[in-house]
Amino acid sequence: MEIVRHPRYVDESKCIACGACYEKCPKKIPDTYNQGLAKRKAIYVEYAQAVPLKYRIDPDTCIYLQKKKCGACKKLCPTGAIDFDMKEKIDTLNVGSVVLAPGFKPFDPSGFDTYNYANLPNVMTATEFERILSASGPTTGHLIRMSDHKEPKKIAWLQCVGSRDINRCDNPACSSVCCMYAIKEAVIAKEHSGDDLDCAIFYMDMRTMGKEFERFYENAKKKGVRFIRCRVHSIVPVGDTGDMELRYVTDDGQVTTEIFEQVVLSVGLQTPPELVALADRLGISLTKGNFCKTDPFEPVATSREGVYVCGAFQGPKDIPQSVIDAGAAASAAGEFLSPARNTLTRVPEIVPETNVINERPRVGVFVCRCGVNIAGVVDVPAVAEYARTLPYVEFVADNLYSCSQDTQDIMAQTIREQNLNRVVVAACTPKTHEPLFQETLIAAGLNKYLFEMANIRNQDSWVHKNNPELATEKAMDLVRMAVSKAALIQPLKETALNVNQAALVIGGGVSGMNAARSLSRQGYVTHIVEKSDTLGGQARNLHTLPSGDKVADRLEKLAAQIEADEKITVHLNTTLAGVEGFVGNFKTTLAGNGGEQVLEHGVAVIATGGQEYKPAEYRYGEDPRILTSLELDRKLMDNDPAIESARSAVFIQCVGSREPERPYCSRICCTHSVHNSIELKRANPDMNVFILYRDVRTYGEKEYLYREARELGVIFVRFDLEHKPEVRKDGDRLIVRVIDHVLGIPMDIETDILTLASAILPNREEKLARFFKVPLNEDGFFVEKHAKLGPSEFATDGVFLCGLAHYPKPIDESIAQARAAASRAITLLAREKIHTSGQVAEINPSWCSQCGTCVSLCPYSAPTFRSPEERFWPGKAEINPALCKGCGLCVASCRSGAIHLKGFDNDQIFAQIFSMNEAG
Amino acid sequence: MTKDVIGSVLVVGGGIAGMRSALDLANSGYYVYLLEKSPSIGGVMSQLDKTFPTNDCAM
Amino acid sequence: MSDWEPKIVSFLCNWCSYGAADLAGVGRMEYPSNIRVIRIPCTGRMSPKFALAALREGADGVWVSG
Repeated sequence: MEIVRHPRYVDESKCIACGACYEKCPKKIPDTYNQGLAKRKAIYVEYAQAVPLKYRIDPDTCIYLQKKKCGACKKLCPTGAIDFDMKEKIDTLNVGSVVLAPGFKPFDPSGFDTYNYANLPNVMTATEFERILSASGPTTGHLIRMSDHKEPKKIAWLQCVGSRDINRCDNPACSSVCCMYAIKEAVIAKEHSGDDLDCAIFYMDMRTMGKEFERFYENAKKKGVRFIRCRVHSIVPVGDTGDMELRYVTDDGQVTTEIFEQVVLSVGLQTPPELVALADRLGISLTKGNFCKTDPFEPVATSREGVYVCGAFQGPKDIPQSVIDAGAAASAAGEFLSPARNTLTRVPEIVPETNVINERPRVGVFVCRCGVNIAGVVDVPAVAEYARTLPYVEFVADNLYSCSQDTQDIMAQTIREQNLNRVVVAACTPKTHEPLFQETLIAAGLNKYLFEMANIRNQDSWVHKNNPELATEKAMDLVRMAVSKAALIQPLKETALNVNQAALVIGGGVSGMNAARSLSRQGYVTHIVEKSDTLGGQARNLHTLPSGDKVADRLEKLAAQIEADEKITVHLNTTLAGVEGFVGNFKTTLAGNGGEQVLEHGVAVIATGGQEYKPAEYRYGEDPRILTSLELDRKLMDNDPAIESARSAVFIQCVGSREPERPYCSRICCTHSVHNSIELKRANPDMNVFILYRDVRTYGEKEYLYREARELGVIFVRFDLEHKPEVRKDGDRLIVRVIDHVLGIPMDIETDILTLASAILPNREEKLARFFKVPLNEDGFFVEKHAKLGPSEFATDGVFLCGLAHYPKPIDESIAQARAAASRAITLLAREKIHTSGQVAEINPSWCSQCGTCVSLCPYSAPTFRSPEERFWPGKAEINPALCKGCGLCVASCRSGAIHLKGFDNDQIFAQIFSMNEAG
Repeated sequence: MTKDVIGSVLVVGGGIAGMRSALDLANSGYYVYLLEKSPSIGGVMSQLDKTFPTNDCAM
Repeated sequence: MSDWEPKIVSFLCNWCSYGAADLAGVGRMEYPSNIRVIRIPCTGRMSPKFALAALREGADGVWVSG
């Protein structure tokens, strides 16, 4: 592989990002990071938190590089980092595999004359609007419009700009993300400007098919965001007021106009020409929408061996889906290179830990502004000044973003320079940021437990935003309490534990099998536990995929691979009877086939799938012609004569989904029905096929199917929740009545096949959730670690998640997530050793009265009695730090006061209580 | 899979997908080259304000 | 009476209530600022001595949640 290194004109090893060059650079140009809404200089960093935080000179605008004049930066740079003679360098890399994650380019709407984007400053793209909402953006988060810096009172979002459009541009695909981001922007805009801000979203179909998206959509409606179904024809300026008139046709066919003060174009995702050229150079095939072509059973493999793809280049998709793909691509590349694992990696250097025991506390306090999140409410400089007055505090600083890499580096440096031995960060919450700051301590050679946080964002500035004075007072109190505790904390040791190198996969469907195959291919012994008597899960009920693949054929191949794999053991007819242990050391009892068996494993992947909802509505069960989607697939698989003889077929969508009692979208039913409608039309072009829908959610490149179905003559009729279709029998005739959304009058359709696109239900694996201590959401699906950044893992270490157990999704997405779960699991298995927490309980044996309270109370069985034969402290209780969760139950219950909880010891908590009031 | 392969991977693109992929690969025992055309990593996600559903700052 | 503001010390379990208090922040739910939170690893850690100490320090209420 040959790569081109573009010159930065700044020596990265010398640049200290002091900003002196930026100060003096005379050349002002539009800031691309801020979408050209602000100016920056020719020498720049993209944004304050940029990694690496090193300046770069833009050769196209730099006066010196263009005209050999100026050179101010070179004269000023204190480290001599500027080098105008840097040249483009071509490096040759020998790599075993390539992962393509080149992303997308937002659609440029300049060519749409009727939207006047190029002429009107108050028409902006959604990416530009993100910058307006951002605290680090050109308006520092003030929602104002560009023409006159007035706060707009009425904002319109126009959906599908550069998506689902082959007339004004050449982008046939749906961009998948714009509906959701428009709703998010509208809700946040209302947060910025107050509830009287009028937000209107003009759309074709609202596509909120992701996890928890539908709820967000419903909540936005409740918050007053208006949703108007139509495509806006034109945006016309209203004199020189800066306002704009939108002309559109309403549902009932009337031409309407409405004036808005700001318009946001929800631009789509597209592959830029340079990526099309790259694909050509690499010899990989693209789809007709210029996205990377993949196979549904190999969703991250390009047409070239060893080259994998993830993110929006694979198809328009959102962040969670991109993160899932990324894991899958890492796994696929890892499987491909498995024999060469650990041949080129190096072990990181360990910073030696400074011994601080017996030193007087020297506390450093870092107060974070979190942009405007904290500083917009709390008087941060005042809090920092106050912190200086507290006992043992030797150093205080306030940071714009404490969590950014540059600040972290500065903090580590400060800790060393100031000889700090305790660190307090007053910022967001330890729940999300403690590990990050602890890394900084480690980098500075401090034991990571010499750290305490004061929560002045989540529990202060965010919840007292109308009371800045009291919030500041509270922040001072919290900092004082944290400092008083910090003075008493001690360095703690962590225990290293071996990670059992075997994996357990629960569920033998497509997801489970793929997760197991990925684990095995990277060298790990894997067990699949399946409750039924066969592998395959729900996929066995599917007929074909839109790609034309027969699911049964692919499934058979996959199952054969699993069965032939020496590293994979399949346990059929088996369930879990109990789980003991913890990450790296699980002991799971399997029950099945007349016996029990204990399995030791280091990680677990939950792939327990879902099931089809059996409808209680639309007369399901009363007539053999009324089917669920899977029952129609079965008939298609069996070449049922009823299909060929049918003159008319009707699909009803959202059966059991997007209803008050099940308020989520099942994600796959629209595509499934549209695909099957095409199958029916192909089998019998004369058949009348109707799809009764609420929103057609053929997201991404599934949109091509929707177009194809319409071209084949499938008729789409919309209904709403208040006017659902009615099914009745008239003698032997099966009739569906629906109110036509254009004419507004009831329409009777006689049908021979009525398919109910019924919801996907979770299996509500409550027992499993208890066994592995992982949560279920209110719908009954498992809750992942983080909706965006941790979609395939649980907050509980060592437990991973994929497939329908997470949320309804099609086969290709299930496979991607299965491999992502495997990838995440492998990063844990590859460590071979994990370190347990230092915050564990410890018994002082000389005080232990051997009463046994702790032994009987502990839910984790961590305390035990030493043997009476033992030489030291025979018969006294002791705690296994590997099992201890640090809950402190034993500490509070110990009648002798013999147990201490490291990190939350009595003196530390008392110190917090005693410093609740200001001294004196 | 006994053929000779090289234990390194080139990841093209330093956005959220590229970074996640690179981290997973590095933590699984492969040497990773992360290629990014702009002067810093982060991609489009770093330009977003807040993200659904936690309204976490996208940064 | 009208100016009187109670002072409340709350001991919140790291795994549930403390996280919930964080989420209240994420959801920008406003509440009075009279509460001072002390994070504990679990309400199992809560000792009556902590509550008594807080009251002795002048707290008008002690709230243990987990």
